[in-house]
Amino acid sequence: MKRIADRVELTQLELAPARLKAKVYSALMLKQAEGGPLLSLTETRACGHKLCVFEELVRITPMGEAAKSLNICRVCHARVLAEHMENAPIYWSGCPYVELKNS
Amino acid sequence: MNRLGQQEARPSQMISSPPEEDSALVAAVLRKDRKATAEFVALYADDLYRYLRSRLAPVYDQVEDLVHEVFLAAWESLPGYQGSGPLRAWVMGIARHKVEDYYRARLRAPESIEDGDQEPIAPASTSDFHQLLEKDELRKNTWRVMGSLPEQYRMALIWRYWERASAREMALKTGKTEKAIERLLARARAEFRERWNRVQSS
Repeated sequence: MKRIADRVELTQLELAPARLKAKVYSALMLKQAEGGPLLSLTETRACGHKLCVFEELVRITPMGEAAKSLNICRVCHARVLAEHMENAPIYWSGCPYVELKNS
Repeated sequence: MNRLGQQEARPSQMISSPPEEDSALVAAVLRKDRKATAEFVALYADDLYRYLRSRLAPVYDQVEDLVHEVFLAAWESLPGYQGSGPLRAWVMGIARHKVEDYYRARLRAPESIEDGDQEPIAPASTSDFHQLLEKDELRKNTWRVMGSLPEQYRMALIWRYWERASAREMALKTGKTEKAIERLLARARAEFRERWNRVQSS
């Protein structure tokens, strides 16, 4: 048995489904948001990250940083599509769900 | 997806990142940087999924839940990540513990091997099954035999020989005696051998 275990690796080749990645990401964002505000979109962009078109819209809107620290993906249709479809029709550059789909 | 905002694509293969990149990623996730969190998921989801599938094969219905649990546990434990080893190994360590918990729960249940004569549990399709296998005959037969074993035998063998847990560890974690685990392993090996011979001769 030991000899077989040494020679045969059980690891498989499948990639994680994109909708699983989307669900995991959503769950982590929820957890993070439960504990307080997220890094604001202004700071996120300052860190060099690309924002999606909706995030960018929120970022340039003249409102407080508190609003820019909300988990706005929660109300985005891209999240819903990504969580339920393996090949969701979402293409916006900078969208984390698109990035996860393509990862 | 890339490391913390750079634009070029990066394969999510099992390559450990330099320590400073790991530490930067952890710091960013802990700052609740949403893009870093997406990168964290993108980097490790495939590795975790493959690993968990291999340890739960051929029954995959719990794999996605376990991937979920590993990520949530990782997020909760992330403040404790010291950076002394690769982040990938640290995440996979959490996955290993989850697998142990899963095995422990299954092996703690009263032993039922009445499915010992059942037909091998077939995965979703034959082609799916074949995709899982390398062309190598040994690997193929190992999978075939493992897939046909009763769940407790299969888990005991994977835990002991692929996860390299000692019988003592397994006993401690399942609340059984070491002797009971050794007996279980002996029966599992005997069953494996018998089915292996059957596969070889067919």
